[in-house]
Amino acid sequence: MLRKKKFLVGGLVVFLALGYLIYTGFQSSATYYYEVSELLTRGDSVYGENVRVRGEVAPGSVERESQGTVLRFIITDMEGEQSLPVVYQGVVPDTFKVGVEVVVEGQLDSDGVFQAHTLMPKCPSRYVPQE
Amino acid sequence: MADIGYIAQFLALVVSVYAAGAFILGWRGKHPALLSSARNGLLASCGLLTISVASLVYALVSHDFQIEYVYQYTSRDLALTYRLSALWAGNDGSLLFWAWLLSVLGAAVILQKREVGKELVPYAAAIIGVTQTFFILLLLTIANPFQKLPQVPADGMGLNPMLENPGMFFHPPLLLAGYVGFTVPFAFAMAALLSRRLGDAWLIVVRRWTLLAWLSLGLGNLLGAWWAYVELGWGGYWAWDPVENAGLMPWLVATAFLHSIMMQRRRGILKVWNMVLIILTFVLAILGTFLTRSGVLASVHTFAESPLLGASFLAFIGITIVSSLGLLYYRSEELKSEAEMESLVSRESTFLLNNLLLVGAAFTIFLGTFFPVISEAVRGVKVSVGPPFYNQVNVPIFLAIILLAGICTLIGWRRASLRNLVQHFLWPLATALILGIVLFILGIRQWLALVALPLCGFVLFTILYEWWRGTRARHRMRSENYLKAFWGLIMTNRPRYGGYIVHIGVIIMAVGIIGSSLYGVEKEATLTQGESMSIEDYTLTYENMDFYETESKAVVTATLLVSNQGKLLGRLLPEKYFHRSFEQPVTEVAIRSTLVEDLYVILVGWDEDGTTAFKVLVNPLVNWIWIGGVVLVLGGLIAFWPEWRRQPVPQSAGKRGE
Repeated sequence: MLRKKKFLVGGLVVFLALGYLIYTGFQSSATYYYEVSELLTRGDSVYGENVRVRGEVAPGSVERESQGTVLRFIITDMEGEQSLPVVYQGVVPDTFKVGVEVVVEGQLDSDGVFQAHTLMPKCPSRYVPQE
Repeated sequence: MADIGYIAQFLALVVSVYAAGAFILGWRGKHPALLSSARNGLLASCGLLTISVASLVYALVSHDFQIEYVYQYTSRDLALTYRLSALWAGNDGSLLFWAWLLSVLGAAVILQKREVGKELVPYAAAIIGVTQTFFILLLLTIANPFQKLPQVPADGMGLNPMLENPGMFFHPPLLLAGYVGFTVPFAFAMAALLSRRLGDAWLIVVRRWTLLAWLSLGLGNLLGAWWAYVELGWGGYWAWDPVENAGLMPWLVATAFLHSIMMQRRRGILKVWNMVLIILTFVLAILGTFLTRSGVLASVHTFAESPLLGASFLAFIGITIVSSLGLLYYRSEELKSEAEMESLVSRESTFLLNNLLLVGAAFTIFLGTFFPVISEAVRGVKVSVGPPFYNQVNVPIFLAIILLAGICTLIGWRRASLRNLVQHFLWPLATALILGIVLFILGIRQWLALVALPLCGFVLFTILYEWWRGTRARHRMRSENYLKAFWGLIMTNRPRYGGYIVHIGVIIMAVGIIGSSLYGVEKEATLTQGESMSIEDYTLTYENMDFYETESKAVVTATLLVSNQGKLLGRLLPEKYFHRSFEQPVTEVAIRSTLVEDLYVILVGWDEDGTTAFKVLVNPLVNWIWIGGVVLVLGGLIAFWPEWRRQPVPQSAGKRGE
């Protein structure tokens, strides 16, 4: 019986260690994931907080500056009602273009502009050319 | 063509349903005639699906744009090779490919000559038939690749230019083959439960099938990483994207399974655990297929969203889990262990711990991947986790797994004495310690590297030490020369030594991952022509920019002169090109790759006046990852290769560690 207990204790230690790792991992990297409208309704409470926002790149909103390393665009809800201006600095992924669904990660500044440090376009394997 | 393909699919469905039913009835009632008709049925379904695949391929090659799938994924200017690979570029085609692969594996299971596990085949074939039926049902209803358009368009929409890469020929089919391949061991496990033949037979049969699927999935993942690195142009090889995770999870659990079936065969323990592992592997494999298609999680890989398809997959997964675990519970009385674990310090317990950690790693990845869905269900807000979560959690787990791989090599079965431990671990430990000191003197100061690299060294030394002792023993006993003795050692027990080679591959990969993730440097620079930038010891001088056009695309090339500490190394030409039919640019990175480090240059963008922005990375040891991958696959193949001697190699359990 003693032997069995040893193994149980060993197993318990492994589980606790895993639990601890997962807990601290979440502490350091869990990020809220909002739709554009959800972010806007939160208003002031999310200023300066690192969040992810999903939206669609609005037509006619994309501007590139500084050799294409600074990108300004507007993302809208899937319904196209609420919109959020975004500034992204860095290498623009190839799949980024108007009409595509993107997830941006960064912070909302007090002017209501979203300062993104990460830009992840969702890339449909099928190509739907612009009408 | 569309009609032939569709009708063949339909007939395949009828035959699969018949075959699955006939296998079950035939075995229950002991009707040899029915069984042989069921066999023919499954073979026929393979033939029919082959006709379907062939007609879709023919349609793709011959530009039959009336078929919607052909219209969506190819165009007239697409090269023949990419028209062929368009078979798995889209949702419907890749599902057909899945079903077809499964039917081929099913046929192989039936046709294979076997001495062990013959009685299991009808049940296993029935399970394969049922799985196949599910996929064909999808193909006939919501994911029909032969859907026709009302009128014939003049040209197709074309393949995403990012998919025009040699990686496209190997990465998706290998990944899919890996997913599909786990159906066979799952089917045999279920067959063992259904037929109550819970002895060694099913384990002997599934080892090589599992290994094959495991190799295929592993290679698929690795090629995906390589493709991302050379093609996607963000400088990394693994992003913990949901779809990447989906490919890693079943692989980790299958790794655990491959290890723990050794324990069952040798000691008759962990019987229920093994069943759970293979069920889990299969479910995760189906989940992987589902994740790429459902749109549940935002990922760069997903196909267009299809709620109905997602729901069908979820239903299939649910039914699989409930019925297989139910069956397992029903039979649990017959799966009692034949022995007990004797000591915490033994090879068994290292295997057990390694199993827990591998499944634990898969679990944390699962949790991270599905956290947005889970948190939304529980708290109503979506919370997601990024790469830091996965790295933070998995680095300690994987280091522990690597450590165990070293310990397990030299520790004895059942119960290891302290003397045995000291005797065997003294040299490897001492060598690892010296390696650590040397690294410290060389200027390595990051504690993670100082822990992880000697750890990798330790495992490598244990394996080499083991090989050396085995070779020396053969050399003495048979007076063979050392080279011959070493060859003989590996060839007489290929599963075991193939396994060690896999471990060495993993260690080489680990060194590459440690080096590139801890010591990578990146820099962004905006240069005018003639200007230089430097990163580490490299100096890059921007010479000029060229524009040229080919038939299908317009290309922009920047030329950079590269030197290292004054020594001229040559030129790098990062490019961006614009496909005629697509607005999307495609970035072609330029990489100067050596065993020590990669210089990785991305052309970011440019202004009218000629100022150009670059992103430059120095990624140390990345090549080690690919080399480790090759070693891993070689080891896997050695372990997979059939034994040409019929009688099993005698394995004296107690003496392994001596």
